Amino acid sequence: MSAVLEFDRVNFAYPGSDVSALTELSLSISEGESLALLGPNGAGKTTALRLAMALLHPVSGEVRVMGKATVGRMPEDVAGNAGFLFQRPEHQLFASSVREDVAFGPRQLGQDNIDEVVERALDQLELGDVASVHPYDLPAPRRRLVALAGVLALRPRLLLLDEPTAGLDRHSRLLVRRALAAHRAEAGAVVAVSHDGEFVLEALDRAVTLEHGRVVGDGGSAEALGRLGAPPAPAWARLVAQMGAAPAQWRFEPAVEFVAMRCRAAPDA
Amino acid sequence: MTHDPRPVTLHPFTPFLLVLATALLAVLLPAPWGPVVLVVGATVIALLLGAFRQAGAALLLTLPLWIFLLILHGAMRGGEGWLAAVAQGSRLTAIILASLLAYRAFQPSRFLDAAATRGWSSSAALLVLATLQAAPRLRARVTRILEAQRSRGLQVRGRPLGRARALVPVTLPLILQTLGEVDARAMALDTRGVGSAHRTPLEIIRMHGLDWFLLLLALGATLLALIWRVLA
Amino acid sequence: MSAFTATGAGFRYDAGDAAALVDVTLSLNAGTVTWFTGAPGAGTSTLLLLAAGLAPLHTGGTATGVVSLLGENPQSAEGRERLAGRVAYVSADPASQLSGIAETVRREVAFAPANLGRQREQILASAARAMERMEIAHLAERAPASLSGGEQQRVAVASMLALEPGAWLLDEPGSALDARGRETLAAVLRDEANRGALVMVASEDADWLVGWSDRLIVMKAGQLVQDGTPAALLADPSLAETGAGSTAIATFARALAERDQRLASASYPVTVQDALERWA
Repeated sequence: MSAVLEFDRVNFAYPGSDVSALTELSLSISEGESLALLGPNGAGKTTALRLAMALLHPVSGEVRVMGKATVGRMPEDVAGNAGFLFQRPEHQLFASSVREDVAFGPRQLGQDNIDEVVERALDQLELGDVASVHPYDLPAPRRRLVALAGVLALRPRLLLLDEPTAGLDRHSRLLVRRALAAHRAEAGAVVAVSHDGEFVLEALDRAVTLEHGRVVGDGGSAEALGRLGAPPAPAWARLVAQMGAAPAQWRFEPAVEFVAMRCRAAPDA
Repeated sequence: MTHDPRPVTLHPFTPFLLVLATALLAVLLPAPWGPVVLVVGATVIALLLGAFRQAGAALLLTLPLWIFLLILHGAMRGGEGWLAAVAQGSRLTAIILASLLAYRAFQPSRFLDAAATRGWSSSAALLVLATLQAAPRLRARVTRILEAQRSRGLQVRGRPLGRARALVPVTLPLILQTLGEVDARAMALDTRGVGSAHRTPLEIIRMHGLDWFLLLLALGATLLALIWRVLA
Repeated sequence: MSAFTATGAGFRYDAGDAAALVDVTLSLNAGTVTWFTGAPGAGTSTLLLLAAGLAPLHTGGTATGVVSLLGENPQSAEGRERLAGRVAYVSADPASQLSGIAETVRREVAFAPANLGRQREQILASAARAMERMEIAHLAERAPASLSGGEQQRVAVASMLALEPGAWLLDEPGSALDARGRETLAAVLRDEANRGALVMVASEDADWLVGWSDRLIVMKAGQLVQDGTPAALLADPSLAETGAGSTAIATFARALAERDQRLASASYPVTVQDALERWA
């Protein structure tokens, strides 16, 4: 399988800062893969995402998107291959209707079948009923979904998501997870920074943990969160882990099934 | 970050008074050599301070003006026209460069402390600051919006027509956000007790020897130039 | 005496069709942490803005009824003047809460007490203590604008902590914080309550609040619909009818009950410990 995103011994420090934000980061994400970047505030997670979008460039080392180094390229050059969901949808929404806003990116890139792609993105996130509404007239969670639809409509191979579920209700989170699964099924890759342990467990298979700009862990997301034994791992995952469930059962539905079976098996249940 | 956190020993008002003096001198000093000396002086100071960005910005800002003046006065009138063009260009360059240097040295909270030391009301000082700070905040926001839109493929390089098209996706979110932020900022300043009492300066900031020396020098030069103007 | 009371309080934004608050009558004691929750738009944020005197002053809209905070009327200019520096308001968006003027974290944290004309030595000491308690002493000389969202949220709380306020009104104060940051903030606010401050928190994060709040008030469509101890209300299956979220474990228990009727019960476990006792 070919790599969608590679970090090759990347070092980065913000201008004017003598602290290194990322140190010797090496990482490769393939088609169909989904990766969570975990770690405390200020560990360098968002910096890594921004480097992948060519919003920042490494001080040394190389970042490659679809095999092409980002050096000398700007975000609009990378936009055909990578899509970035920012924390604040207010930074991008501007068009007079949801549909227009979602179509903005593909039009900029001169893609074809725009109408079809836009409708599909709207459908995926259940925005069809508000397609002609002004994005700013929507409640905050749906505004975020509009921003995500705008990114999905670019049909990027690589999705870069910064706290994609922040402020979303349960149903919206489900929609996001489904959209990401569909994206991966079409050989797309996902890299997300998230404090939402449930989302990480449900939607992302692999987790890389950063601390002070260095990789301190790389493995399955269930193991990574299970090892933490505390938030951001959701409480129910910690529960079933303590009850002896295997990492494969640390997802919501399998976990419910696991506990149901245990209770039925117990003599007093 | 909007301001370089380098140590500044001058009183926060001094740079602004020096800009005022530069403006007066630029008008009063005998043309064209007076203004030329001012530009050279300001440039030397800028280079000594390591303010290369400001020197470059002043050059860039005044370049169209220089071209315009040289064509209008110099090429069309010759002789005297060249001198007039140099005088006029130098005046504006000196004022712009001095202003950029003052802005570079500007530290908002030292300015607040200096105003509080003098016993000025904090609301008045904050009004000045809010005005001076609006530009960097706006710039930071434009940067964020540009990042988001360029990540969606917005082309901001290339032909002027393309760039003009990029205006809408950038300015609309900017306006909507700025309107929203006005309320949030007002709340933030409100909960932080702005204007409710007489502000305590965290640092007592007074004029020191260097400030007085520079101000007297500027005042003396201005007076001399004025006297020369009246007598000549 | 109650540190906060509302009597028949109502609020309506200029733009909205429905009232944001409807006939809210409530009395809260100093020294306690009261947690407000509800579905998005239930009115918890508006209640805090009204209590702080920020709504309708900065939000527009119309308020009705009577509110009182620390014995003053936050809706009157005189009341607000007397409350200046005694009320800490913290919102979910840390970036918009910074003054935008201070060039270092230390100055940001000292900004509010300096505006109130407190004594310099006292300001510097309380700012240092506030940074210490929010674990941002190492960021003291950094520019607030250059910090991450979580760090900015800590700064926003520290800048209120430096005021040594009598009342805390916080709207999703943990939104950008990591696990460690939430732990720190919970401990700080618990200390503030123990010191005798009134603490009101609006949050949908049940797993976080259940550990350190004394009283839970559930709102729906601008009204108070449930009021009790967090442990009891979160365990009650009827909470779901209000649209408010519960803890991850209680939500899990509901899913379990939906899967198998025989596993339904009159009360859900709320914490991992409760659940282990019941199911393991």
